Amino acid sequence: MGASRYISSGLIEAYVSRLASPQEEQELEMAIDQYPEIAIAVEDCRLGMEHYIMLQSVTPPTVVKQNLIRIIADEEAGKLIGEATEETQIIEDTPAGKMYVSSSWRWAAAAAILLLLGSLLLNFIYFSRYSDYKVKYEALLTTNNTLASEQNVYRTRIEEMEHSLEIVKDPSMQMVKMPGTKSFPSLLATVYWNKASKEVFLMANNLPQPATGKQYQLWAIVNGKPVDMGVFDIGTDTAAILRKMKSVDNADMFAITLENKGGSPVPTMDQMYVAGKAS
Amino acid sequence: MGTALTYTEAELVLGLKSRSEKHFGYLYDHYSPALFGIALKVINDENVAGDVLQEIFLKIWRSIERYDTDKGRLFTWMVNIARNTAIDTLRSKAHKQGQKVQELSSNSMGTEQFAVHQAVDQIGLTKVIEQLNKEQRIIIDLAYYKGCTQDEISKILDIPLGTVKTRMRNAIIQLRTILKQL
Repeated sequence: MGASRYISSGLIEAYVSRLASPQEEQELEMAIDQYPEIAIAVEDCRLGMEHYIMLQSVTPPTVVKQNLIRIIADEEAGKLIGEATEETQIIEDTPAGKMYVSSSWRWAAAAAILLLLGSLLLNFIYFSRYSDYKVKYEALLTTNNTLASEQNVYRTRIEEMEHSLEIVKDPSMQMVKMPGTKSFPSLLATVYWNKASKEVFLMANNLPQPATGKQYQLWAIVNGKPVDMGVFDIGTDTAAILRKMKSVDNADMFAITLENKGGSPVPTMDQMYVAGKAS
Repeated sequence: MGTALTYTEAELVLGLKSRSEKHFGYLYDHYSPALFGIALKVINDENVAGDVLQEIFLKIWRSIERYDTDKGRLFTWMVNIARNTAIDTLRSKAHKQGQKVQELSSNSMGTEQFAVHQAVDQIGLTKVIEQLNKEQRIIIDLAYYKGCTQDEISKILDIPLGTVKTRMRNAIIQLRTILKQL
């Protein structure tokens, strides 16, 4: 585009009134550098625009100038102070100030991290201890239960033994020892016979555990004839406990045979384990 | 400018660049009405325009080092700063929100602060306004004082986009003709 065409295009007026787009501005600025007559035309137009601007002048409030004078004086004073003490102030003060701020944050961060780590460690320790104590507690609980049940067992046994003792203490009680027969010489059982009440109690001092399907049977020999006194089993602590058998008025002898489970109406003589006279 | 200049523009620029508060005072006294006029035309609010004027002069003071005498006159440079600062304020949300507060509090601000307001060349301005037609005045105001683009002006004035530049050219030719008669 030639210089005259720029002048008549309206671009100069658009440029001066700030209407031109950035591309148009760029284009015209290149043309200004290239053509002196365009530079003159732009400047003429601009003077007109500035004249128009000047016509619209309004005296501003006096407070604006007062503020400005104060702000500028403060700034300049600040600069002078800054220049005078720059080396000491800026090098010592400013970085130290920054260091103070950043180091305090660093301390806070370090403290927070330490607290967190400490907390995690304590959590771990206390959880381990908790688990440990839980196991121990459960073990103690089991032991306690075991002890309690054992205590019940012992109490029952003691009660039984006390009961047995009560029976034996009775003055009308007669003790009949039944040693092992020729076939079983090491065996022993005892009958406690209360002649007043006719009650019969048995203590299996030493009798072997019978084979399965077999049971011991106590017999009383009355006037030469065997009378069934009941069957019994052998427990773990039978040796110390009296068990009540059938009552009998009169008996010459007591004996124990091994019979089929449930007992037999007549004793199997070759299976007689122990026997003793009532005297 | 009716006042006799005690400084040439070169002396003024040199004084400002050497941080002379006296030169700054002189600059303010001579150019603040023109720059306040710009701020007021852009903002349409005296309180905000006053704040904007303060900002304009602080920018001038702080960036005078960057002003290059070879690239244009000092007034052109300052007018650009004034227009850009005012239009930035106009477009900022803070100004839009602040406007209502300003309206409410303007009564309690005292009147004597604004009593000195007056157009510097009331007669000249009146003549220009009388002789420029309304459309010509509006197109200059929209482009220069409100920072509207060609596209926006085309929509506001309801004229074809291609006509905007022609209309602007005619407006400025008319303006310059009137100004020469003053």
